[in-house]
Amino acid sequence: MIMPDMDSLAHPQERRFNPYTENGGTILAIAGADFSVIAGDTRQSEGYSIQTRYAPKVFRLTDRAVLAVNGFAADGNMFVKKVKQRLEWYHHAHAKDMPLRAIARLIQTMLYARRFFPYYVYNILGGIEEDGTGAVYSFDPVGSYEREACRAAGAAQSLVQPFLDNQIYFKNQEAAQGTSHPSHLPLETVLSIVIDSFTSATERHIEVGDGLEIFIALSKGRTLQGMESIRGLQELTVTEDGERLFVMRRDLKKD
Amino acid sequence: MSQQSAFSSPGFDFSNSVRNNFLQEKGMPLPKATSTGTTIVGCLFKDGIILGADTRATEGEIIADKNCEKIHYITESIRCCGAGTAADTEFTTATISSNMELHSLSTGRKPRVVTVMTMLKQYLFQYQGHIGAALVLGGVDSTGPHLFTIHPHGSTDKLPYVTMGSGSLAAMAVFESSWKPNMERSDALALVSAAVSAGIFNDLGSGSNVDACIITATQTEMLRNFVKPNERVEKERHYTFRRGTTAWKSENIRDLIVNEDITLVGATGDAMDTS
Amino acid sequence: MFLTRSEYDRGVNTFSPEGRLFQVEYAIEAIKLGSTTVGVRTPDGVVLAVEKRVQSPLLESSSIEKIMEIDTHLGCAMSGLTADARTMIDHARVTAQNHAFTYDERIKVESVTQAVCDLALRFGESVHDEEAMMSRPFGVALLIAGVDELGPQLYHTDPSGTFMRYNAKAIGSGSEAAQSELQDKWHKQMTLLEAQKLALRVLKQVMEEKLDHHNVQLAQVTPQKGFAILDEVQLKEIIDAM
Repeated sequence: MIMPDMDSLAHPQERRFNPYTENGGTILAIAGADFSVIAGDTRQSEGYSIQTRYAPKVFRLTDRAVLAVNGFAADGNMFVKKVKQRLEWYHHAHAKDMPLRAIARLIQTMLYARRFFPYYVYNILGGIEEDGTGAVYSFDPVGSYEREACRAAGAAQSLVQPFLDNQIYFKNQEAAQGTSHPSHLPLETVLSIVIDSFTSATERHIEVGDGLEIFIALSKGRTLQGMESIRGLQELTVTEDGERLFVMRRDLKKD
Repeated sequence: MSQQSAFSSPGFDFSNSVRNNFLQEKGMPLPKATSTGTTIVGCLFKDGIILGADTRATEGEIIADKNCEKIHYITESIRCCGAGTAADTEFTTATISSNMELHSLSTGRKPRVVTVMTMLKQYLFQYQGHIGAALVLGGVDSTGPHLFTIHPHGSTDKLPYVTMGSGSLAAMAVFESSWKPNMERSDALALVSAAVSAGIFNDLGSGSNVDACIITATQTEMLRNFVKPNERVEKERHYTFRRGTTAWKSENIRDLIVNEDITLVGATGDAMDTS
Repeated sequence: MFLTRSEYDRGVNTFSPEGRLFQVEYAIEAIKLGSTTVGVRTPDGVVLAVEKRVQSPLLESSSIEKIMEIDTHLGCAMSGLTADARTMIDHARVTAQNHAFTYDERIKVESVTQAVCDLALRFGESVHDEEAMMSRPFGVALLIAGVDELGPQLYHTDPSGTFMRYNAKAIGSGSEAAQSELQDKWHKQMTLLEAQKLALRVLKQVMEEKLDHHNVQLAQVTPQKGFAILDEVQLKEIIDAM
């Protein structure tokens, strides 16, 4: 349809290799008082094409730490692999599982080590701290990090984060007279908000959909409190340390 | 200004698009247009033509409309699917539709598909591809069923089965595997539906529902939302806000009923002096 | 032993037919020439005590440095060729800082001890034809005291790169007598003050000079305040209370 135009061949042209691509998808995490929820959709895309409908973006690191990665999938997968390797080395050197805040700091040093050829990945780390509280750490691609109560990242960050700000932090919502907003929501509410975040993002963002994986990390001694029978729940706990880890899978629209 | 200037060439003036490209290079982005990422298809069958389209409209990666109509009316027995810049496809087809109506009124004949095709390609060619309309034109006229594709620069094809838009490859794969000459109406409709569905599920630019339009010599059937495989799921929670949720800076209540005291001045109610 | 000196004495990485590394054994011997150093662990913290041999009245006793800080929660006392200890403590400090930088947490006492012993074991190590980085084993033993999530701990390292955890340990010239005294007197529920007094008493027994605040040094690592070398006033108080 398009004829090669001889004009453009007359001039020298510079072509460059771009090592990065953007593979879509969205991740989010919310911290509770004694639990943490980390979720991500499972679609992996490039441009207008779906590469796969099931490519996990959320990974179990330990029974109390879960890492969600989003951005350039190849970098993300490699990064998770390297973090897991470092956790294993740490275990051998120090005879214990790495605590969550130590993992957070480790991720910073690993990301910053690549300051001038970064992993093109946004990381969200969720899990249980040594004091038993639920925690979420979010990172930029070169390692700036912060502990937060909730964070969304990826393709639909601009759709989901404002919703989370409103529903988790109660931004732009006045409390009823003589009451105040809770600083932590119960697990059941958080799960509902997570699911609704993803079904809504799927409605309005072309790169979000196919499947949803939600990881739930529970603090020592805390139970699911009647949520055991929830649809698609599976326990992933490995150690006898007391913390428990679950995954919950849901379908999302596939168009 | 009837005299042609020696310094300006005849034909359409594209200097504004040169300016726009220059501004864009300098870092001023052009306003983002709604595009119909789109899967549109058409196929010939025993009794006529079936056109098909998805219903997703996008603005970049955001879905702008989940159920838009991409099969546009040209005449009763000629319809046109549009892909590309939404405004361009809508405006172009509407313009041509009007012109076809006038054309049939003045000629006293039913318009032919080739006529529409010719008018569309001449219109688009004038604008050298700056009107981003990629079209699938189909219909039945006195000479029989016809199916065309029209590209934004004005080139056209006449084929028994066609696809266009970002989902064209997905849809064409279905046609190439299953299309046969002289298909029955139901088989052809199922094939069009499968082709559009392939676009809906495998192309991120396409989505939501399948629209179809069956055109035969005797009638035209517009099957709006023929298949709805992507209904919105119910939310886990209700998001209604308690009265008083929104904070306000100040409150000002104004009475809209104005009371006035009227005092009569002068005479004590005498009739108006009209002398 | 010196009478049976043989060619196996030469290389630091050559075993004798009996399966011994003489240079390492000699290095361990060198520690027995060092000043006596004592460490005592209690549930409240760890105490380190060293004898400072003030060989000359002209020597500024405060310049003798045999207890050093590794990190806020880690301390170290030495005996033997104390110059060698500098290298080891430098390494320990770097390791501890590196751990804090990378993991945002305090390194475990065992981990830092392990790191020091890894270094101690690198004598005679060379790649291909390159010059070895270290020419001989370290001639120093360390008592590494620290507090971590497993509580107060005391580790002993020797030139062979071996390390072990102790409740109480003495090293240096008077270590034999001191160790048996510690064995008699140490008990599980000692207070920090009891441990301080025990450490000084043990030193006093094996020292030739009369013990005073000039010729001993005392340090402690506690969960609350971390590592601290006691100043003269504090030291005097404990000596008086002995």
